[in-house]
Amino acid sequence: MTSWMRSRNTARAVGVLTLVVVLAGIEALIRLGVINRFIVPLPTQIIASLPRIVAEENVVQRFWQTTQEVMWASLVIALIGISLGALLYRVRILRMACESWVGALAAAPIVLAYPLFLVLFGRSVTTIVAIGVIAGLAPVILKTLEGLTATRHVLLDVGRSFRLNPSQQFLKVLLPSALPSIFVGLRLGLIFSMINIVGVEFLINFGGLGQLINELAERYDLPGTYGAICFVILTSITFFVIAEHLEKWLAPAT
Amino acid sequence: MISGSPGASAPAGEAIAASRAAASRDALLDVRGIGKTFQTGEGSTTAVEAMSFTVSEGEFVSIIGPSGCGKSTVFNIIGGLVADYRGEVRVSGEKVSGTHPAIGMVFQEESTFPWRNVADNVAFPLEISGMSKTARLERAAHFVEMVGLRGFERHYPSQLSGGMRQRVALARTLASSPRLLLMDEPFAALDEQTRLLLGDKVLQIQQTLRQTTLLITHNLTEAVQLSDRVLVMTYRPGRLKRVVDIDLPHPRDSEVVSSDAFGHYVAQIWQDLREEASRGIRDDESRVLQAGRR
Amino acid sequence: MAGASDLNAAPRRDRRRVAVVRIGIVALVLAAWEVSAASGLLLREVVPSLVVVGHSLIALLAGIDFYRNLVITAGEIAAGMLIGGMSGLAVGIALGANRFVSQAYESVVYYLGPTPKIIFFPVMIMWFGVGAGSKIAMASVSCFFPVAISVAAGMRQIDRVHLLVGRSFRATYWQMVWKIYLPAMRAPIANGIRLGLGVAVIGTLLAETKLSNQGLGYLVIQAYARFDMARMYALLIVLFVLAIAANALIGRLARPRSP
Repeated sequence: MTSWMRSRNTARAVGVLTLVVVLAGIEALIRLGVINRFIVPLPTQIIASLPRIVAEENVVQRFWQTTQEVMWASLVIALIGISLGALLYRVRILRMACESWVGALAAAPIVLAYPLFLVLFGRSVTTIVAIGVIAGLAPVILKTLEGLTATRHVLLDVGRSFRLNPSQQFLKVLLPSALPSIFVGLRLGLIFSMINIVGVEFLINFGGLGQLINELAERYDLPGTYGAICFVILTSITFFVIAEHLEKWLAPAT
Repeated sequence: MISGSPGASAPAGEAIAASRAAASRDALLDVRGIGKTFQTGEGSTTAVEAMSFTVSEGEFVSIIGPSGCGKSTVFNIIGGLVADYRGEVRVSGEKVSGTHPAIGMVFQEESTFPWRNVADNVAFPLEISGMSKTARLERAAHFVEMVGLRGFERHYPSQLSGGMRQRVALARTLASSPRLLLMDEPFAALDEQTRLLLGDKVLQIQQTLRQTTLLITHNLTEAVQLSDRVLVMTYRPGRLKRVVDIDLPHPRDSEVVSSDAFGHYVAQIWQDLREEASRGIRDDESRVLQAGRR
Repeated sequence: MAGASDLNAAPRRDRRRVAVVRIGIVALVLAAWEVSAASGLLLREVVPSLVVVGHSLIALLAGIDFYRNLVITAGEIAAGMLIGGMSGLAVGIALGANRFVSQAYESVVYYLGPTPKIIFFPVMIMWFGVGAGSKIAMASVSCFFPVAISVAAGMRQIDRVHLLVGRSFRATYWQMVWKIYLPAMRAPIANGIRLGLGVAVIGTLLAETKLSNQGLGYLVIQAYARFDMARMYALLIVLFVLAIAANALIGRLARPRSP
């Protein structure tokens, strides 16, 4: 392998190039009639639909709507999740009883219960945020608990040697030590929330970006549907990257 | 040299008891017959048995013993981190239970708070006692300088070497102005050269502050270099085997370390240590053999 | 999650107390439910009495309808996992084996991973129709990503020493794959499959609720449409139990063999 092939930028360029080639190939195959253009619209059409969607379908406002839902859910998750994690840490018997339950909660397909939430709260933002909260809660609880229990014993000894009372021990030793783990949990919780929130928006045809896809699909606007899907992908990538950066920024020293 | 094990023959015992009574009146730290037995999965282990000694104001005393002799248990008992133990620990005549404000501890493991920078780490005890921010940072700076870390106040522990981190831990404990400085093998994880240099530093600080210090170590050279008295422990169950007064001049720089008298003390203590260390090794081997047979 | 294994190591007395606490919590929740059901605090239909839910559950499990749809859903999930899992494995290995390939293409997989796959459903319908085909496609797409990401990471974490040993004995390509790579990656592969199963289940069932006339998801939305809340609760309970059990089963398979 020659040195230019080793460069990371070359690799990235190859990746992008591959994408372009694939899209061009698809375009060609559709124009040649090999792929049915009523099932897969021309990539150029999809790209052309993007500005139209932005202009006509209030993409920015929908994005903001989805973002708000995610932010509310994240806030609630942070408050409830960290508190419950700390509670489980403090009360040993509760921890032993409930830890595997929380793990099971993480594995359970909560979002499947969305018809139930529809009945309880109707087609509303509450439904969406509620599902977002439940979907993202488990990782926060577990990571908070993990971070607290992983606090190095010698640091607790230092606290004891300086005669800290229990609340000082918690605020000044346990919590700072657990913070990196807590932030990992919050990042995971945010991602799970977002995924479920957009999914539910699509399913109940209400809300921000998820609903847009549904609408365009029901209108049989093929390029538009594909375009909207691209927007959602972009949005989720954005959230993901922001969450990663937030985590890195908030937990630097350790 | 005085043999320290209690229950020695009666007439000698009386004399010892008398001198000890005299010593304990002036002693800052008075340890009487401490012992601790741990319940393990396979029965019980007695880590420490009937250890008694005193440390007077301004003294630098080392406790040395082979690995597994219960030194860290002694550290934890005196520091108040161990719940039930036999015997008594008194600080300035006052019986101690649990951690005592007059005792400052420096641990063997990495104990700096990774989320605080050097200055905030050192200022920690002052923060707890409610000192205002400016006052405590100023006071902390004094101790940061004392351990030779001036200029590193805003650094985080992850940016420092192991030796520097232990210096931060030391500065932090010193900042709480303890009457007794209790250290558990603080230099164990460091390389030999760093150890020697840090040892110098600690001794300098101790002399300047006239800090009463009790150091737990397994390093012979270190013990002789730094201390006024060395207490030699037996292998498990740890008892006091011998007390050696170190009559070397101060300052104890690297010159003293290469002197004849120094070598003489080291050889003397090594005699006792070797015996105990071999017992330790034989014990380990037989345990491994037994475990293999099961 | 370490919880369960800790519990087995705990002393008898602790385990009994834990059992008591768990029963206590469950009892409390059930009691609170029954109280709110009886008091009519929330709409009676929305929170039916436990007895009613119980009856519905029994009726559900006793009827052939449930099992017929269970088999359909399970079949869709299994097919999806096979397709998604195999392709995820292949792509993961390709990405993990070669740094250049990884730098060129892995970010696509990595960043597409945390997106809600259900949004692809309209496209799946267009491509594969409204029947089982689109559901299997959903399951495949969902399952692909966790497996690929896990396997790629697993490939990179293989101790280089093992590879050198293999090469020093001049193992062929396939021998390396079967005797060194795959065994060394048992944990990440199993973990990827466990996560893949989780999202495949979700993908399939959500697709069935959105547009289908068979499968367990269809039963759920049918109960919703008829406002048969008791039946919906019964279905959800069964679904959750099955999903958690499947997850635990694979998790157990993933645990390293004890010496």
